[in-house]
Amino acid sequence: MKKLLVFLVSVLTMALLAAGCGGDADKKDAAAGEQQVLNLFSWADNFDPEVIAEFEKQYNCKVNYDVFANNEELLAKIQAGGAQYDLIQPSDYMVATMLKLDLLEKMNMDNIPNAKNLVSTLQAPVYDPTGDHSLVYTWGITGIAYNKNYVKDVPDSWEDLWNPEYAGRLILLNDSRETIGMALKKNGFSNNSTDPAEVEKAFQDLKALAPNVLAFDTDTIKQKFIAEEAWIGTMWTGDASYTLKDNPNIGFVVPKEGATIWADTFAIPKGAKHKELAEKFINFIYDPQISAKNYEYIGYNDPNEKAQEFHSDEFKNDPMLKIGMENIDKGEWLIDIGEALPMYDRYWTELKTAK
Amino acid sequence: MQKTWRSHLLLAYSLVILAFLYLPLLILALYSFNESRINAVWTGFTLDWYKTLFQNRRVLEALMNSLFIAIISTVVSTVLGTIAAIALNRYQYKCKPVINGLLYLPILIPEIVMGLSLLVLFAQTQVPLGKTTLILAHITFCLSFVVITVNARLEGMRHELEQAAMDLYATPLQTFRYVTLPLAMPGIVAGALIAFTLSIDDFIISFFVAGPNSTTLPLYIYAMVKRGISPEINALSTLLMCATISLVVIAQILQPQHSSKNND
Repeated sequence: MKKLLVFLVSVLTMALLAAGCGGDADKKDAAAGEQQVLNLFSWADNFDPEVIAEFEKQYNCKVNYDVFANNEELLAKIQAGGAQYDLIQPSDYMVATMLKLDLLEKMNMDNIPNAKNLVSTLQAPVYDPTGDHSLVYTWGITGIAYNKNYVKDVPDSWEDLWNPEYAGRLILLNDSRETIGMALKKNGFSNNSTDPAEVEKAFQDLKALAPNVLAFDTDTIKQKFIAEEAWIGTMWTGDASYTLKDNPNIGFVVPKEGATIWADTFAIPKGAKHKELAEKFINFIYDPQISAKNYEYIGYNDPNEKAQEFHSDEFKNDPMLKIGMENIDKGEWLIDIGEALPMYDRYWTELKTAK
Repeated sequence: MQKTWRSHLLLAYSLVILAFLYLPLLILALYSFNESRINAVWTGFTLDWYKTLFQNRRVLEALMNSLFIAIISTVVSTVLGTIAAIALNRYQYKCKPVINGLLYLPILIPEIVMGLSLLVLFAQTQVPLGKTTLILAHITFCLSFVVITVNARLEGMRHELEQAAMDLYATPLQTFRYVTLPLAMPGIVAGALIAFTLSIDDFIISFFVAGPNSTTLPLYIYAMVKRGISPEINALSTLLMCATISLVVIAQILQPQHSSKNND
């Protein structure tokens, strides 16, 4: 019995201690008074922790970094209200959706002079034509990744995925818009096509390809390429760069027909309490030197033109990121296709069940 | 002869079931010691992933959030649940089966429905999402488990001791303090441990009601997986698993020992 009591008491003390700690932290906040809080809602591991720490120091604030795993989750949280985030990171198409729903605040560009450092192609993308509700943070382009040991002829067209030699070794992204968009591109159409005949053609091509597909995969695609289970497939530039570091035989091309380009952005939700601090944070991230440090950590293309001189040679010479940058003009953004979406979904379901 | 054949079969069957249950967890734990960033191939033993984990401020913050929320919700739900269980056990009234049923319901309601309804409630009443809403939600679902565990203990308890205490002029408060509470204690501790485990592990309900500065460990693990599965996630999951298992073991050890002592 005594043991039990001791246990209970210790649990209680722990609880009280924890509660006490919480209270102290609140008091500290109140005492500092000036110390502001930036509530950041983003993808996991999306910033160099040192960069965030430096921002906190420089602006005497605290960054609360909470994470989400997909755009729809983000949208739900913002729509539910209640959650007071100051800075969010929706992807391109989600920016369009949120704009339509009037969920984004217009940014005050006077607070973000460094936004001019962005590569011009990324400055006013189709999903946010005025370019003042979102700013590109990370971006990438979909291409063909292949293993040079098994794929002897360097692919240069989406057509090459249909080569019967790669049957059972081919991976396609597990995403309807990406994969149907790829087949549309192969036929020379837009990846946003709403013409039923064009989408039907793309679907028939994919249906013919389905028996060759090893998997429709997005989350573990890197592992499959590194372990050489997969020889060829569609992949994003950032993933390709990651994969190359663990398997030197991986090659990457952006096919001549063009490809899908994507971006994760900075945006400020309507009603954000610390809007100005959020803008300062964005400006801080686009500072050329900070930007160089940050993107080396996260391993994506740095969209900051002025930062290039501060990057290490290793980063500058990363073949995959280079390919991405050189082909940026081949990219076409995915936009809202409205009424045509159910048609895509129907074809996609049929494809995946046929597999 | 037949008997041994049968027992062999039974043993094999049990082993298969056990393997089915625990093999995935073992493999997950094993790969947290893998040198390679990729789960596909084993390249060598390392503890680096645990090291990076403990240097990661976000992970530590998530851990602190999880512990903070779990401790508060455990204490509150244990106190409330114990009081409720004693009242339910002691008094007879008209709608007792209905009340009992209502207490069981949160266990049966799909978590996703509960999460959503709590989110709607908080949104309607304009409670800002964050640690407060997480704690409220966790207390809500832990409460039923505490009531049921404590109630089970009370059901098995004989009332002679309480009656004897009262015969010896103990006041109701003294009876409660020196007789009822110690007798019920194993149930209360078990209930508290269950509540703590549930709160630490909860993902679905937390997913709906989390807000700024309240990312818990399970939420963090989920978001990390989307970034590509790295051994860091394995390491984190292994630690979470070990914590949960040790709590369950403690609950198991505490219960029979003390109940037998008390029955003497």
